[in-house]
Amino acid sequence: MIDFLQLTAAGLSQGSVYALLAVGLIATYTVRHVVNIAQGDYATLAGLGSISLVSAGLPLPLAILVALVSVTLASVLIERLVIARVKNLTTLVSIILTLGVSTLLQAIMLLVWGAEGRRLAAFPGSDLDLGGVSIRSQELWMLGTLVIVGGGILLFYEKTRWGKALRASAEQPVAARIVGISPAVASVLAFAIAGLAGAAAGVVSSPIYLSIWSGGLLLGLKGFVAAVLGGLVSFRAAIVGALLLGVLESYVAGYVASGWKDAVAFFILIIVLIIRPAGLVLRPNAVRV
Amino acid sequence: MTISKPPGAVRSKTGFWPNNRATIIGVAVLALIIVIVPFTASSSLMNIAVFSMIFALPAIGLSLLMGLAGQVSLGQAAFFAIGAYTHAILLQKFEMPGVVAAVGGVVAAMLAALLVGLPMLRLRGHYLALATLGLGFIVMIAVREWEFTGRTTGIYGYGRPEVFGVPIDNNGLFFWFVAPFVLIGLVLALNLTRSRAGRALSAVNDSELAAESLGVNTYALRVKVFTLSAGFAGLGGVFYAYQVQIVSPQVAEFHVSVELLLMVVIGGLGSVWGAIAGAFIVELLSEGLRDLIPAIIPGATGEVQLIGYGIVLILVILLLPGGLYQAARTSWAAIRRGIRPRSRAADAAAPAVPDGTADTGAGEVPTRAFGGLAGGTSAAADAALLAADLPAVSTPVAAGEPILEVRGLTKRYGGVVAVDDVSFTVPAGRIMGLIGPNGAGKTTCFNMITGAITPTAGTVSFLGEEIQGRKPHVGAERGLTRTFQNLQVFSSTDVVGNVYMGRYRKGRAGILRGMLGLQGREQYTHEAVARDILDSMRLGEFAQLAAGDLPFGRQRMMEVCRALAAEPALLLLDEPMAGLSGQEREMLAGLLRRLRDAGLTIVLVEHDVAQVMALADSVAVLDDGVLIAHGDPETVRNDPAVIVAYLGTDAEEAEAELKELEEQA
Repeated sequence: MIDFLQLTAAGLSQGSVYALLAVGLIATYTVRHVVNIAQGDYATLAGLGSISLVSAGLPLPLAILVALVSVTLASVLIERLVIARVKNLTTLVSIILTLGVSTLLQAIMLLVWGAEGRRLAAFPGSDLDLGGVSIRSQELWMLGTLVIVGGGILLFYEKTRWGKALRASAEQPVAARIVGISPAVASVLAFAIAGLAGAAAGVVSSPIYLSIWSGGLLLGLKGFVAAVLGGLVSFRAAIVGALLLGVLESYVAGYVASGWKDAVAFFILIIVLIIRPAGLVLRPNAVRV
Repeated sequence: MTISKPPGAVRSKTGFWPNNRATIIGVAVLALIIVIVPFTASSSLMNIAVFSMIFALPAIGLSLLMGLAGQVSLGQAAFFAIGAYTHAILLQKFEMPGVVAAVGGVVAAMLAALLVGLPMLRLRGHYLALATLGLGFIVMIAVREWEFTGRTTGIYGYGRPEVFGVPIDNNGLFFWFVAPFVLIGLVLALNLTRSRAGRALSAVNDSELAAESLGVNTYALRVKVFTLSAGFAGLGGVFYAYQVQIVSPQVAEFHVSVELLLMVVIGGLGSVWGAIAGAFIVELLSEGLRDLIPAIIPGATGEVQLIGYGIVLILVILLLPGGLYQAARTSWAAIRRGIRPRSRAADAAAPAVPDGTADTGAGEVPTRAFGGLAGGTSAAADAALLAADLPAVSTPVAAGEPILEVRGLTKRYGGVVAVDDVSFTVPAGRIMGLIGPNGAGKTTCFNMITGAITPTAGTVSFLGEEIQGRKPHVGAERGLTRTFQNLQVFSSTDVVGNVYMGRYRKGRAGILRGMLGLQGREQYTHEAVARDILDSMRLGEFAQLAAGDLPFGRQRMMEVCRALAAEPALLLLDEPMAGLSGQEREMLAGLLRRLRDAGLTIVLVEHDVAQVMALADSVAVLDDGVLIAHGDPETVRNDPAVIVAYLGTDAEEAEAELKELEEQA
């Protein structure tokens, strides 16, 4: 029983990383219909960046802040230099294009930081012991980050005028432009949000899960699996899905074999796509004939 | 949902019959290179050459998937790995003969694809891409964790292949061992792209609905192409296992899939030749970068070539979305223009080159062609011309027997009822007109009858079989075909290519026959029929023009030709007269009458009430989704409900309008 609870706790904290990535993916998907394969690379980039900043002598909070801002800007830059350059970007082409971006980012990280995984210093705080179940303070930081960053983005999209306008620009680009929302601004904003969410996931998880140049792809894909559980539109469903995915992975790692852990997400992806495809379709694209 | 391609860039407009001579020369040149290379190449280049041949196979498969099925696999390495592992295991653990093991490898890859493709290809768009990506990871993790596949060490310790007792034990021999398979694969793939199935899928990428309405079962074809593409990958894996002599989880890694995708993107999405060129370039790039990067950045190790992959992938999509294939075509066109600078007439007649001159040509030709018609060719002369070669029709039931029965047809969108409980029967060999004000639900009715949309309630029986809610190809296969209000032209081919697609339902050749090129006669016959139909509608002169370059009215006529090419039993025409000139209308009306006399059943939606009244044997009137009248034109014309619905509430004004219409008619 203790084992079970321990695994659940570990799964939830890992799931919170997937949740943040899923939030980032949904942010860009709802606005641009882009499936951003590079989403997970934002996390590793921020992790590795903050590690270097700390070893350069910056205090941890400042290092994190600089990493968050830089990766957010990098995401915006990617939008401006790459995504915005393609006219009539279909989702399929966006996958190929962001795959190129992801490959490039990974190669840069490999050249700058080398092939070894690195670890950021743990955040301050003391571990918790709840009746034999120990929860590391870093895991609480991870869940807390999900609540603050993920929740903040969710509230922004659902409650603020700007957030609603962002969604509107995806549904009705022409109508949105008429009421004064430029699609370019909406797209930049969505990528900034995606960058921030990814970076936050990266820095907060680095002390436990390491940051390694090639790690982003798998992280991003798991975020995507969670996003698919949310139909690629619902932040809430995606966050719940991400937490479930983390917990499930944790059980597989604990009870089956740790090596199979990474396969869980993709089995879920394929099964969900098979049994609930209709629930995943955003809007049936009716063709007028 | 298809891969976005700039018009004319990826699948450039070509003539109806691709230039076979160019293909033969290309294959011969490639064969020559293959024979020579092992004698001249340095050992490092030989290594690159061998691997580019091995990877060319999965790349050809992927290019078929992207070009024909309009789908992307991000897990092509998974099928490659399945082929390699199966082959190695059958050789090493079961000591099977090489040929059997190789076939086993290919079949295993195809089975895996079938398993993934069957559910995924029902979904639209990008889901296959992501599912294959997931499959890639599953395969990699499975072979890494499974004792049977040798975990991280993999499978090794099986022999090298032997051909007629000669062991294939150096790069030169291995190159000759694998190259013939690449050549054969290339020819099979090229044949497939221009086969009946290939053309159908190409049409699907232009307009899925139009293609399905002509009988194309998109889903089944896509599953087949996906499975075939995995077969190519599996074969590549078989050779890979032989060449490297150890199959480890590395072979299933994601960057292998990226490498394969890059080959296809560089070569030009959907170009089979491009895939082979791409394979060589990516292998060269990979080797070059592995040497170059550590020289520039000391201490760089590992997969440093990825930086080149990333940059090239982004740049190609941004700057050259059609890849090398597009670049080659553009430069070839430029060279030809350089050789023959003044040949506008030839341009207009020859396969249209997407460079603007074709537009000028298209603008000119119609004036010439229809000058005679406008200059006083009488309708009688037209009739004589048309009667000579009336397109064939199917008459599965005797005239007067019901051919189409619609019962309680209803479509609701949320709270809005677009079509409400509509029932009618269409007897064979008659023309029925469906009229009604804008938004009355006419096209929605059509869409439900043809299967473009699923009704909320009600049944549609065609030839006694209920077809509501089934895909459009189901009705089309049985002889129900249609035209579209918003034109659905296959813009990647020419006019005769469009009409040829109408013959799809009359063809038989499948993927296999297509690949083997065993359908030349069938295609030839169908092309001749397509040309005859175009001639009978006075569109023969435009046969070679890019369909999108035709003026609007003629595109509409072309759609009618396309539908007639299917030899339908029931033809549904959605506003066929819109955008036609007076003469064209007369001609079309005359044609429809004669087709009816030949036994064809026609249902037409039309705004031109006078035309419908003059043409139709019975008229049904829809208003606000409800069938308010149905009967012979005379009765319907005098139905007060119809007059009110059609012309507003003022019945007297309506009478006046109607009188006017009658006088016109």
